[in-house]
Amino acid sequence: MTEANPLEGDSPKHKFVLGSLFASASLSVVASALIIYTLAEGTIEFFLAEEATFLGFIGGGEWVPNGRNPRFGIWPLLSGTFLIAGGALLIAVPLGVSAALYLSEFASNRSRKILKPAVEILSGIPSVVHGFFALLVISPFIRTYFDASYFNAASAIIVVAAMILPIIVSISDDAIRAIPREMREASLALGATRWETASRVVLPAARSGIVASVLLALARAVGETMAVTLAAGSVASLHLDPLREVQTLTAYIAQVATGDIPPGTATDAGFAVGATLFILTYTANTLAIGATKKRLGRKPGKLSKSLGNLSRKARSAISSFSNGDIPGRAPVDPLSPNSTDLKRRKSEVIWRRLIGSSLLLGMGFLTILLHSVIKAGAPGIDLAFLTDYPSSRAHLAGIGPVILGSIWLIALTMIFALPAGVGAAVYLTEMSRPSPINLFLRRTIQNLAAVPSIIFGLVGLYVFSRMLGFGLSLLTGSLTLAMMVLPMIVVTSEEALLAVPKGFREGALAVGATRWQAVRYHVLPNAVPGIATGAILSVARALGETAPILFVASIFSKTAPTGVLDGFMAMPIQIFFWTRHPSQSFQDLAASTILVLLMLLLILNAMALFVRNRAEARRSW
Amino acid sequence: MKKGGNISVKNLTIKYGDKVAINDVSIELIEGKVTAFIGPSGCGKSTFLRAFNRMNDEIIGASMEGDISWMGKQILSDEIDPVLLRRAVSMVFQKPNVFPISIYENVAFGLRIQGENEPSNLDAAVKQSLVDAALWDEVKDRLYDDAYSLSGGQQQRLCIARALAIGPSVLLMDEPTSALDPIATAKIEELISTLKSKLTIVIVTHSMSQASRISDHTAFLYLGDLIEFGETKQIFEDPKQELTGQYISGRFG
Repeated sequence: MTEANPLEGDSPKHKFVLGSLFASASLSVVASALIIYTLAEGTIEFFLAEEATFLGFIGGGEWVPNGRNPRFGIWPLLSGTFLIAGGALLIAVPLGVSAALYLSEFASNRSRKILKPAVEILSGIPSVVHGFFALLVISPFIRTYFDASYFNAASAIIVVAAMILPIIVSISDDAIRAIPREMREASLALGATRWETASRVVLPAARSGIVASVLLALARAVGETMAVTLAAGSVASLHLDPLREVQTLTAYIAQVATGDIPPGTATDAGFAVGATLFILTYTANTLAIGATKKRLGRKPGKLSKSLGNLSRKARSAISSFSNGDIPGRAPVDPLSPNSTDLKRRKSEVIWRRLIGSSLLLGMGFLTILLHSVIKAGAPGIDLAFLTDYPSSRAHLAGIGPVILGSIWLIALTMIFALPAGVGAAVYLTEMSRPSPINLFLRRTIQNLAAVPSIIFGLVGLYVFSRMLGFGLSLLTGSLTLAMMVLPMIVVTSEEALLAVPKGFREGALAVGATRWQAVRYHVLPNAVPGIATGAILSVARALGETAPILFVASIFSKTAPTGVLDGFMAMPIQIFFWTRHPSQSFQDLAASTILVLLMLLLILNAMALFVRNRAEARRSW
Repeated sequence: MKKGGNISVKNLTIKYGDKVAINDVSIELIEGKVTAFIGPSGCGKSTFLRAFNRMNDEIIGASMEGDISWMGKQILSDEIDPVLLRRAVSMVFQKPNVFPISIYENVAFGLRIQGENEPSNLDAAVKQSLVDAALWDEVKDRLYDDAYSLSGGQQQRLCIARALAIGPSVLLMDEPTSALDPIATAKIEELISTLKSKLTIVIVTHSMSQASRISDHTAFLYLGDLIEFGETKQIFEDPKQELTGQYISGRFG
């Protein structure tokens, strides 16, 4: 054994490890920089064009990108976006908050065990599938009862509401369950009913979390692309009539992506629209983060300042009251109900049923969606369909190369995103102390997670495809998706690391391990199941994602890719094009592809569940 | 306030699932007196206390057998609505659990849910309750401040005021001073001795000195069994049971 100085500093190897972990954590900054660079560059290019002026863009009421006299006024796209996002919130917020309240306050353990996964299933359905459902099931239904056009905002509003419902339910549920049991007991012990406790104590106490859930849902609704593109149409016009066609910000970018917009100023306009979208969702997300931070009771006395005058007035009034007996309150027999009590009992029953039924609505939506997809898609699934090449004749078409394309894409995505994401998580939770840099990295990751997926598509097109010259290839597609799933992997890995008891680290450090050795040998191995669960769920997310690769997938590649620079097709893109096809035989092919995709997602989720449960069963700590 | 008479417990058994928390206890709580439940941790004192306002109903898997009769009614029977029972039998908990709203609204809450919204009635009740809880002088200038701006001891007295506002006949207190410093504890103890002229008080306490200072009767519970019950003076000076003697002399617990 060499006689090394025991107090000698870090080894070069340790520095190298720390350096690479820091680099992983910085990748999110690089990704964010690329987003801002892309949007800024494209937007500047757009405004340099003759047809476009800044004032005309932010003040204009007409959006006519094509033709001899194009006009680029953003308001029709904004009104379309707000019609759909606003309409969706109007449906989803009352339903979602009711459902969360019911789940946490009234549902028995057993029904919670059934209902919570149902909400999770709803959140796992890819947006292109919602688009299929909106265009081919909801829209016809609406048209039989109302004078609506084929493409209409209402059908998009309904599916977007279903998409954001799980966000509101799960975040509000977390906020409500974080309210201490003591608070509920205090209310019950004062003679409040369960509903009075839920509505007058628990709900107000959880309001900051609920506000955050609504803001996050808003950001998601504004950024939602595929369902809106499919169902709401592609005519930008300034109106708020849900029965007519509208175009959203995202739908215009998607229109650019699918090549329906000629190159030149109209395509550059996509970047300006992207920048607008980015600013909107960034603002909503920042407000949401602010709302979650505002925990109750943190800042004593703040309320009194805002209520200063009121308080003073009330003070002088109340101080002058006599100490006499309180009039007419104590009932003669406190154990028999008076008329108010009977009314309270009745409203208890009514309210419980009302908020419970919100969950039934969500379940009903899910059932009808699955039923119609199975009805349209199941007959078309056979071995030939799974292995054949896509074709312009419906009865010959299959999705063999498309499935392979998706598998290639996801494998490459995870090769890029998994090491970087886990590295970033290890750096942030284990290897660094709270510092401005650390805080900055975290905020960047949080913001990256809220960027609408279609914007990643613009970055992929601009940076990977054009600037770096990767073209419309698997490499471009997977790098784009990797940027998108990176924050998700970081967050789930961080949770897995934080779940490992502190004692493991301290035990290792106390016997002379370096910080990295403690992490490498005692923390990471115990966090593997949690990290794996997060990774599998990220795979599921990437597999169903359509918008970011809409720019780069090529409808013309009929064969499976053989290398990373080959063109490719992926299942969600195929679903998108087949759903838009006017002939029903192709729409049924879309349904069959959806079924295959949903099966794969189901398998992935089952795997995640299996990994998690097995790890929990085996865990000795 | 009406005191509502003695509370008599007959053969009360409380279980969590299969685990027996209170085993066949019979006891008579005297109107207008302070009764203390003492015993080592896990002996079932809090569970026992929560039977009197049926808070055990809120715990999944908890079941109660036996009778508690009060005001001529069996309060454990299905005919009694726990919501109504709880405004006659009020409760203060171990940790101060004020609501994250103003001091005023904390006290007014119990009345508001009963449909009392007349400002002058609420004002009078809030003031009276805060006076009764010996908190009025400290908060009268900031009634609309967030209740969390109060100190721990003040929060606990606010909880007492809140419990008094609904005009109960019985006040249950579950280790009300265990989270407080000695000065705040002394204030609460003083408060208890003034309140007993108006209410029947049942208090669970970890501290034997507290029980001997404030209570008229003491019940010693051990592992779910009622070992001894009697006047506080007798329990502490001349315990009949060997176990009681060992506990109060600090040999276990």
